[in-house]
Amino acid sequence: MPDKATPELRRSVTPWGSFSWGYSDVGADIFVGLGLVLAAAAGASNVAFLFAGIVYVCIGLAYTELAATYPVAGGGQYFVLRGLGDIFGFIAGWAVLLDFTIDVTLFAWTCVDYSSQLLPILTESRFPWIHFIVTLSLIVGLCVLNVIGVRESTAFNGFVSALDVLSETGILCFGFLFAFKPDLLVHNMHMYWPSTSDLMLGISLSIISFVGLESISQAAQETQRPASIIPRTSVALILTILIFALAYSNLALGMQPWHPIVDAQGHAIQFFQIFHDNQDNQGKAVALLANQVPYYGAFAAFYVPILGAILLLISSNSGVFGSSRIAYAMSSKNLLPSMFQRVHAKFRTPMISIVCFSAVAVLELIFAALPSLDPGAKAIYAHLFRGEKGLDFLADLYAFGAATSYSFVFIALIALRMFDPLSPRKFKIPLNIPMTVRGERVEFPIVAVIGFLGIFAILIFTLFTHPIGRIAGPTWLLLGIVFYFIYRARKKLPLFRSEKRDWRKQQVEILRSAGELELMDEYIANVKASDERRTRTAPT
Amino acid sequence: MRNAALYSRGLLSTLIVALGVVILVRMIPLAHSGGFAILPGVVLGLALIAYGVHKISLIVRIRRTQ
Repeated sequence: MPDKATPELRRSVTPWGSFSWGYSDVGADIFVGLGLVLAAAAGASNVAFLFAGIVYVCIGLAYTELAATYPVAGGGQYFVLRGLGDIFGFIAGWAVLLDFTIDVTLFAWTCVDYSSQLLPILTESRFPWIHFIVTLSLIVGLCVLNVIGVRESTAFNGFVSALDVLSETGILCFGFLFAFKPDLLVHNMHMYWPSTSDLMLGISLSIISFVGLESISQAAQETQRPASIIPRTSVALILTILIFALAYSNLALGMQPWHPIVDAQGHAIQFFQIFHDNQDNQGKAVALLANQVPYYGAFAAFYVPILGAILLLISSNSGVFGSSRIAYAMSSKNLLPSMFQRVHAKFRTPMISIVCFSAVAVLELIFAALPSLDPGAKAIYAHLFRGEKGLDFLADLYAFGAATSYSFVFIALIALRMFDPLSPRKFKIPLNIPMTVRGERVEFPIVAVIGFLGIFAILIFTLFTHPIGRIAGPTWLLLGIVFYFIYRARKKLPLFRSEKRDWRKQQVEILRSAGELELMDEYIANVKASDERRTRTAPT
Repeated sequence: MRNAALYSRGLLSTLIVALGVVILVRMIPLAHSGGFAILPGVVLGLALIAYGVHKISLIVRIRRTQ
């Protein structure tokens, strides 16, 4: 009788595939975040992006080091589980799951907004059901695509990512050469500097323009030679995204529009002012900016909405991909029931996870769209959430989930540097303090501390300035923790403590299955040398 | 084919550096009147130059090993 092997995720993601998974997720964020940040932080939007950008670089470096050291599906939650234990691993994973399901809805939603630039009926306020139904259809369609398989999606991602990098470079080159006025930028920053509360809101929203590095570490288990590939793709991704975010925000503030912009009273206004209190414009900011770039705008008016819509759809797809992989990884560590680990026999994709978290995304869509669909719900939202709806609703939760999970990842990075110094780190964050912990030479990462302080500040800003993030975010976490306790109690597993795991054996297996055999040998040698040192120094 | 791809990447990287220089050159004269407000623009210019130079150095390294 033939031996029936357990189906596993296949390693089909190439270097460009790994970059484009990340780019299609993070790269699309600016299409969503730009309008929201310009509306909230006005003249300080570029400062908001700069603050979040610095934190993002720290996050990016942390993820790069961790994903290259532990190339397994699961990303942030796996690092936290390994560094801080089961319960914190679950909380981080559950926060990331919130982010990925929001990602599915938020990007499908803005995909429709960008499409409305060419098909205005999609965001027509008289027919809110059209927007809702189209967004819903996109989510269901992506769910089916993901059940079929990853290889098809990766090829498509790669093509669109390349097209988008070229397009954004074109917009920014023409914008900075023909429309950018540095004195106008300085003038707008001085004249329209926001209140402290609005600046905090802007900073917390700008972090949503940098969410998605998780995708690279998610794809780690499906990437060929991850320890070598991931640092390369991540560093390129970090720089590309940072430059785009800083460039767009500076251009939006210092741009002399190609065509004069006037308000309802016929007064001339600055470009960034068209986003104030206007959710329709906030949802398609990059397309509106591209329209105002001299010469290039005539051409960009037609293709940027289409390209933006496609990129956002891919990003939404990354959300489906990411959430299913996290659930798969959490299930394999007994943080979620084993059904999330089941892989489809034919397509070899985690079908149950994909369907389940797509359903959560649909639920979030319903909550976000309710105020525009039903006047009764609008009144309730006005009372509970200061009238926030649609994009605000989704952006609030997105910022909360990202800030929570990233905070844990920084602590996990420090813990792993202290307690797992033997794992070979092919990429290491710069700026470290050498020290000795339990007889082993370790390096304390200063950048992780800076990053933690930054992201923790953003988490506080989110809780302080976002009515929905403040209520719905912690509620999601609480529900998850209750679910976790019930599941662990039924399985007779420790509730607060961690399960006993042989991390050494697991690390060897991780590196072996990743094809990183040199690193595996190095790890085994490190472990042997460490054991010998301990034996020599142990009292007889 | 591979050389053509390298040349086009080199051209793109040179454009990135040039754009960074243009932004920096236009922001620096405002240092006195703009004060803190020029910081994001200067960071952008420097980031573009750093990214472009990094990409060019990678391309040069690939060319040397060919």
